[in-house]
Amino acid sequence: MLRKLLKHEFRATGRIMLPLFLIVLGTAVGANLSVRVLLDTPNKVLDILGGLLIVAFAIAIFGVYVMSMVVMVQRFYKNLLQDEGYVMMTLPVSVHQHIWSKLIVSAVWFALTLIVVGLACFIMAADVKVIHQIAEGFGELLGELYRHLTAYYAVNGTALAVEFLVMCFVGCCAMCLQFYASLAIGHSFSSHKMAWSVLWFFIILFAAQFLGGSGIVLLDETWLHHLLLGWTDNISGMAAMHLSMICLIAGEVLYGAVFYFLTTYFLKRRLDLE
Amino acid sequence: MAVLECKGLSKRYGHTQALDRVDLAVEPGRIVGLLGPNGSGKTTLIKLANGLLTPSEGELLVCGMKPGKETHALVSYLPERTSIPLWMTAGQLLDFYEDFYKDFRRDAAEEMLAHLNISPKQRIKQMSKGTREKVQLIVVMSRAAKLYLLDEPIGGVDPATRDYILSTIIGNYDPEAAVVISTHLISDVEKVLDDVIFINQGRVMLQSSVDQIREEKGMSVDELFREVFKC
Repeated sequence: MLRKLLKHEFRATGRIMLPLFLIVLGTAVGANLSVRVLLDTPNKVLDILGGLLIVAFAIAIFGVYVMSMVVMVQRFYKNLLQDEGYVMMTLPVSVHQHIWSKLIVSAVWFALTLIVVGLACFIMAADVKVIHQIAEGFGELLGELYRHLTAYYAVNGTALAVEFLVMCFVGCCAMCLQFYASLAIGHSFSSHKMAWSVLWFFIILFAAQFLGGSGIVLLDETWLHHLLLGWTDNISGMAAMHLSMICLIAGEVLYGAVFYFLTTYFLKRRLDLE
Repeated sequence: MAVLECKGLSKRYGHTQALDRVDLAVEPGRIVGLLGPNGSGKTTLIKLANGLLTPSEGELLVCGMKPGKETHALVSYLPERTSIPLWMTAGQLLDFYEDFYKDFRRDAAEEMLAHLNISPKQRIKQMSKGTREKVQLIVVMSRAAKLYLLDEPIGGVDPATRDYILSTIIGNYDPEAAVVISTHLISDVEKVLDDVIFINQGRVMLQSSVDQIREEKGMSVDELFREVFKC
């Protein structure tokens, strides 16, 4: 059933995100034309047009980032907590499957947004001498890094890349779940549901920052602090990198798990559709 | 075994008692009218049967199971409002129902859409309110479910559409299944009902067959309703 939910989720969100990606790529072509031709002409009209195309490109990039966030929140809100919720929450699927379908689809759109924006920047800068040189230099730097990683730390380099991707995915899910939990709690109230959701979002944010800050202060000079200090002489740089990544992932999993529990509890037990 | 069974079922919203120790049973093969004035607890009862709310006290069973994803596969639910995704086309909506419900009869749904001259390519957003309600009813009644829970299926539509909706219900439900129709428009649905449940202020006032009411009370369900719920 998760596969079917994903299919319909991609269908519902793709009709918004795919045209936006096309717009970003289209404005990138326009911006490229502007940088290469229009801004260099003595014609004032073409000059203004060139400026406008650059602005359009910047707005499109900003817009696609904003929309990927809006779609993530709006799909959960409209599809599960508004009128469509009567259809969705009575499907023969579990609440867990609903949440995972939303998380996976959001993570995919976030990743695609990054890729498309990167591609758009490449299109915009193609054939422009200075930017081309910068891109070439950046490419060489990446190539050199890759050669070093594969030559000396072949396994570690790959492992670090995998850890980084897992960290991004888990971080993405934890961020989405923070929004979902706030919405699910807010919509368990009988009135002013959205106002409660916003309030709960900030309460959760404040609580997370307070607990995180307190944790750091409380752990200072404790056994853990001394244990970590003791490791500094006995642990290699690469092992420390892996340990840091694993700790970050574990922290994100824990952070997301709290919101996952809250979201499922409120959707299962406290759902109150209008 | 009863398709829908409530034992001492209560639901409170804060200090408001929406349902108060409701006991009832709906047997298969019956069309039951869940009748009561506005705010009597009809929608709450139907939402509880769909697992959209959790009981404060008591128990509700659908085919012997507590509401959940297993019972969702057996229940076909028509909410009181248009809840189908408006961005979909009628055809995409049929794909959606076909994907999630094994008992969905696509040929029956396509036939009903064709009968109403609704193109599968037409977006639901572009349809009138009445047409949207008809499309929603079509997908709900195109399932071969064990229990149909229809919340105000004829509220807010013109008399011609009411007739169409009632004939669609009668013409498409599985005779082995039970149909629960919640409404306060008694005279319109009376002709299709086998049993009635009168509900008021969260309590069941009467559960009886329509024939029994006519024989014992010598009046129609509509007349009895007006007498019981006289203001």
